[in-house]
Amino acid sequence: MSEHDAHDATPALGTHGGPAGWQRAHPDAPVALQRNRWQDAAWSFLYKDDTRYAPAPADMEAVAQASRRMRAGEPGAVHGPVINAPVWTWEVPLYFWFGGVATGAWFVSVACDLAGDHRSAAIARRVSLVAVAPSPVLLIADLGRPGRFLNMLRIFKPRSPMNLGAWALVGFSGLAAAAVGADLLGRPRAARAIGGSNVVVGSYLGSYTGVLLATTAVPLWARSRLFLGPIFVCTAAATGAAATRLTLVAAGLPHGHPTRTALGTIETGAMAGELILSSLNERRLGRAGLSLEHGTPGRLFRAAKWGVRIGLGLRLLRAPLGPRAHDVASLCYLGAGLAFRYAWVGAGQVSARDDETVARMARGAVTFDDRLTGGPRGRRLASIARAPRGAGRLAARYPELVRRASLRAERLLGMSGTVAGRRGTGAPPTHR
Amino acid sequence: MTTRAAPTEIAIHAPDAQRMGFFTDTTVCIGCKACEVACKQWNDLPADGSRFGRGSSYDHTGSLNASTWRHVRFVEIAEPTPQAREDAVQRLEAGGGGRVPDIPATGGGSGSGAGDLDLVAIASQRAAPPGAVDVAAAVAAMDEWVFMSDVCKHCTNAGCLDACPTGALIRTEFETVVLQADVCNGCGYCVPACPFGVVARDPDDGRAAKCTLCYDRLQDGLEPACAKSCPTDSIQFGPYDELVDLAARRVGELHARGMPDAYLYGASDDPDQELAGGLGAFFLLTQPPERYGLPAQADSPVQENVLPATTAAYGAALLAAAGAAAAFLGAARRSAGHGPLRFARRRAIRSWQR
Repeated sequence: MSEHDAHDATPALGTHGGPAGWQRAHPDAPVALQRNRWQDAAWSFLYKDDTRYAPAPADMEAVAQASRRMRAGEPGAVHGPVINAPVWTWEVPLYFWFGGVATGAWFVSVACDLAGDHRSAAIARRVSLVAVAPSPVLLIADLGRPGRFLNMLRIFKPRSPMNLGAWALVGFSGLAAAAVGADLLGRPRAARAIGGSNVVVGSYLGSYTGVLLATTAVPLWARSRLFLGPIFVCTAAATGAAATRLTLVAAGLPHGHPTRTALGTIETGAMAGELILSSLNERRLGRAGLSLEHGTPGRLFRAAKWGVRIGLGLRLLRAPLGPRAHDVASLCYLGAGLAFRYAWVGAGQVSARDDETVARMARGAVTFDDRLTGGPRGRRLASIARAPRGAGRLAARYPELVRRASLRAERLLGMSGTVAGRRGTGAPPTHR
Repeated sequence: MTTRAAPTEIAIHAPDAQRMGFFTDTTVCIGCKACEVACKQWNDLPADGSRFGRGSSYDHTGSLNASTWRHVRFVEIAEPTPQAREDAVQRLEAGGGGRVPDIPATGGGSGSGAGDLDLVAIASQRAAPPGAVDVAAAVAAMDEWVFMSDVCKHCTNAGCLDACPTGALIRTEFETVVLQADVCNGCGYCVPACPFGVVARDPDDGRAAKCTLCYDRLQDGLEPACAKSCPTDSIQFGPYDELVDLAARRVGELHARGMPDAYLYGASDDPDQELAGGLGAFFLLTQPPERYGLPAQADSPVQENVLPATTAAYGAALLAAAGAAAAFLGAARRSAGHGPLRFARRRAIRSWQR
């Protein structure tokens, strides 16, 4: 027998040459050549006695000080990229806009009900439902794996704004459809009750988009964390009121009706608030705000601001120009809202590529008041093993069921992607 | 020393498991990229194409992305800083603090420029007693070229894990962060939520992807592929606490040998000041972090911002709803009151309400 034949060719896993060779020979069989507790990692040239790799116990304070010293002060040369730019495409800002219109229209419908104008309220609810309808489509179209959109609802995760947003979208759409359905069935009181409760969900739907952007490492968004939500809410209220106003005018709401007056007030107030908040935010952003000025996002931002100014001007001059001027102002607000959404999302992509600003933000040197603070560290506790019991056990099966349904849906829709199963990291191979 | 993640995370628990991590010592990295190859082989990742001249760098494999989970970054500092050059020359001219003997090629009146260090000449001086040449000073005056094998940091406060809306990203029993490829639906939120630019979405595949710290190997008691392949033990793998202790010793040793700028990135600092609550994969660096494309300070952007941002946003939304109601009630009251337009408004209301 030659030396070659004597070589141990036992495979590391499973049965040699057999089908499904990746399976263990028997359950819990050890991996061949494995040493328990990663002992193979402990061998090293460097650990030998004569290399002085790390012989003496360290002065931990000196080590910590070196780390602090090198990470303090002004950053030197930055060899980026430091962070990855967001991968969101045109669907996302458009979804933000539609979601904002839906929320704003819903607020208007509830206010109409409160003021006693139930006919306008019913129309506003329909405007809201029509506006929210394209939102899931846009959201799904933006996914890398659209067939798995259900996985968003696999879990309820308050920590993740996108997860809560997906639930809010589902809840809002459902309640809006129920309220409109009650209208159609001639149950105005039920419609009003559902409408009132939907304000709680709608308030999140209209505002979480700002939170979604603020909870990223992108300097422009993260440093605007207290302003992005309110700015987006202003846009939502203004565009929602504008859309409702145009619809009501088309439906024959007469000039001089208090609903028309109130809608004009909401539009003006919200858009003026938007301009003020944006200006305040830009002033305090400093370097991070530069990405709002350059390129396409900068042009969109300027166009949006001019849209708002023209709209405000037309409203001021509505007495000599006639009621049609106010309709043009509403159109201006709708367009400005859309441009604002595209500008904010696009500017974030520019900001993420601004390595210098990212580095300066990490050293707490972008804005004068927004110093880096520690996370909510008090909440950190030791993890303990918890096995769900009773009803919790049933609930724990839900994510797995949704996951399987998603994979099946993806396969049925033929959207399993071009290179599915390419990775060896747990994805089951999917065939077209 | 061990820092633990928040209990609200989606996590796998195992009674015997402990936190495992990577310690990457850049001072012994030789830039061979064996770890990149080993990672791609084990995880079945495609090549990205080898291309020189990316940003006029010798680094031909680009950066961390969806199909490169280990990446050896070449930190090429073509010129030493003026300060480093001046310091080195002065020390050499002054006799190197009593340690450097007269080196003819280094500006002792031999005619060569002060900045032109001749390493051959320095080496020839080795005929003198060993240790007589201040090699640190000689190296400081040369171009600097540092390598760093970059990888997912497996943060204690992981931004990607907080952001993930599907629960595809989970914490394992080894307190590493792993992306379940069969759950991820490619929403892309983890990409900007990572303060280190690690997670990326594969443009062909649609899903996000990142280092798993070889979760499959760990479960079978094997060390990760990159650590296994590293020929100089620049990448070391082990129980987190042991690694931190070893790394701190190494920093102390380097300080004693005249490298005061050696420091740990992601371990050893106060828990409150630590990057993302402590990095499961931490590094020994000798340059400011930005040279390696790393932020000097970072935390999970979600944990940092979600509460203030949500409070401001939701509060503004409720205010907007209240404002809308106020506008309507105000308009209704005005139209009911006295005024020149009173009758016209009443007619309008009647015609609309029918």
